[in-house]
Amino acid sequence: MTGIRTAAKLDVSPCGDAAVRITVDGAHAEEVWGTVHHLARRLNHGEVPGVLSAVPTYDAILVEFDPCETTVDTVMFHLLSWEAPDVLEPLPSRVLDVPVLFGGAEGPDLEWVAGVAGLPVHRVVELVCGTEYLIRCLGGPAASAMTDGPELGVPVPRLATPRLRVPPGAVSLAGRQAVLGPVAAPSGWRQIGRTPLAVLRTDTDAVVPYRPGDRLRFSAIDETAYARLRGEPMRHRADG
Amino acid sequence: MADRPRLIVDAARACVVTDLGRTAGPARGLAVNGALDQFAARTANALAGNPPTDPLLEATGFGLTFRPTHDVLVAVTGAPAVPSIDGRPHPAWSPLSVRAGQTVHVGVSDAGLRAYVAVHGGFAVPRLLGSVAPDTMIGFGTEAVAGIELPLLRSHPPLVNPVFGTTVFHFGLPREPRVPTVLDVLDGPDAREFGTALEMLFTSRYSVTPRINHVGLRVAGPVPQRPVSGEVLSRGVPVGAIEAPAGDELLVLLRGRGITAGYPVLAVLTSAAQDVAGQLRPGQRIRFRRTTAAAATATHLERRRLLDRIAARAQSAFAAHVRTPVTKGR
Repeated sequence: MTGIRTAAKLDVSPCGDAAVRITVDGAHAEEVWGTVHHLARRLNHGEVPGVLSAVPTYDAILVEFDPCETTVDTVMFHLLSWEAPDVLEPLPSRVLDVPVLFGGAEGPDLEWVAGVAGLPVHRVVELVCGTEYLIRCLGGPAASAMTDGPELGVPVPRLATPRLRVPPGAVSLAGRQAVLGPVAAPSGWRQIGRTPLAVLRTDTDAVVPYRPGDRLRFSAIDETAYARLRGEPMRHRADG
Repeated sequence: MADRPRLIVDAARACVVTDLGRTAGPARGLAVNGALDQFAARTANALAGNPPTDPLLEATGFGLTFRPTHDVLVAVTGAPAVPSIDGRPHPAWSPLSVRAGQTVHVGVSDAGLRAYVAVHGGFAVPRLLGSVAPDTMIGFGTEAVAGIELPLLRSHPPLVNPVFGTTVFHFGLPREPRVPTVLDVLDGPDAREFGTALEMLFTSRYSVTPRINHVGLRVAGPVPQRPVSGEVLSRGVPVGAIEAPAGDELLVLLRGRGITAGYPVLAVLTSAAQDVAGQLRPGQRIRFRRTTAAAATATHLERRRLLDRIAARAQSAFAAHVRTPVTKGR
């Protein structure tokens, strides 16, 4: 058969007259995520005229289009006609080192999170730093790097009242997700630490040095290292 | 270049250089941003003989005074008070010739919140991912503040006899004296989660709060609640999304919204209603009206056809009036 592999099907939810949410339904979260990003990449490469942008997340793509140039039916016709590859080509994956000052003023929720997880604080830091985190998607606000959360065993409840301002470089947890936020913004997530690196630049079209599929490698640093690294640009490991 | 045409801003507040938005942004994690009243912005550029995506000024809530260093052609749209050139009133929603050194004042009328000023040739200001649209979240954009000189790409000879100063154009644009207070919406992707509580959205009246910016506006009134709430997975959220956070206010997301969110979307403004939302003022009473996708698309296409006609008429009018042909520098 043509189209998306048998394990997955596409649910279509209109989002006004100029956008549609396409949800990939499948048994395996990894395959769903891979399919979402595979389809979004093709859409963002301009394979469907009239599509302005595709925002892939975990299990869904928000497709924005110009209603003067295309329709939801046309977009879906294209998606369903694309041959599903037998094996999804993996997204290019680079590693970014992210030094983090955990706890204290830069990680006000670290102890609370440890309490919820029933773990000592140092164990939470070890869990966060003990593995690479695949960037699942870029999220709001401003190209935040969204990853799976550390293996705490329990989901992390959000703040009842969001903070009005979380600083740039904050590393935060909610549910079973983690996020690195490049800019100051309001947030209801639990902030466990902060990187001193400058994550976002507006003098280049890349804006942030990562894409979905890249991996974050967190490491714990102390206040001296934090002060020394303050404002250094974030880079891929290959950039030296 | 010393004699490069510039627009000298003498007075401005809450005024930016923008365009139709950063369409390459959402795929890179950035909000699309851009003119909140897209129809007004497109019309301003069409009337100034510009491509739709050219940079233009968006003045929010406050007026703007400027002087060009060269002869230019401008068009003022949106919710402007009567524009004036050296103190003399001129029509909005029409091309206007401004001579070098003349002072132009554009106010914002109480019929809306935002006025747009396009200048033939557009502004030469920095771009990110192809767009000049400000993004306050990442600290990008060009603000038109008093004293700034905005570089223009071209000057434009006068279109009309400056002695008589008559405006010879009439584009037959519909100028509604007031911004409509009924906003058309389509059921959102998560409408089902709200069950019958969704009906409340269409039967209630809402009041626009002062909390308005490019990210969104908050409207006070009955908030439909969903019976179930669980852990939510982040998903892309469309411009125009109406979200129901806890509390007694709905959140209507506009073009500066973060591209993902974990709140369910109960309804989405149509493209035309998004333009209306961009003109709402604090304290206005509004209501939401459910429409169909077919009707929303038909309205969208009709408005775009009107814009195409305006652009074509402007081009032919300029061709007939200009002593030297309008040439594109690009």
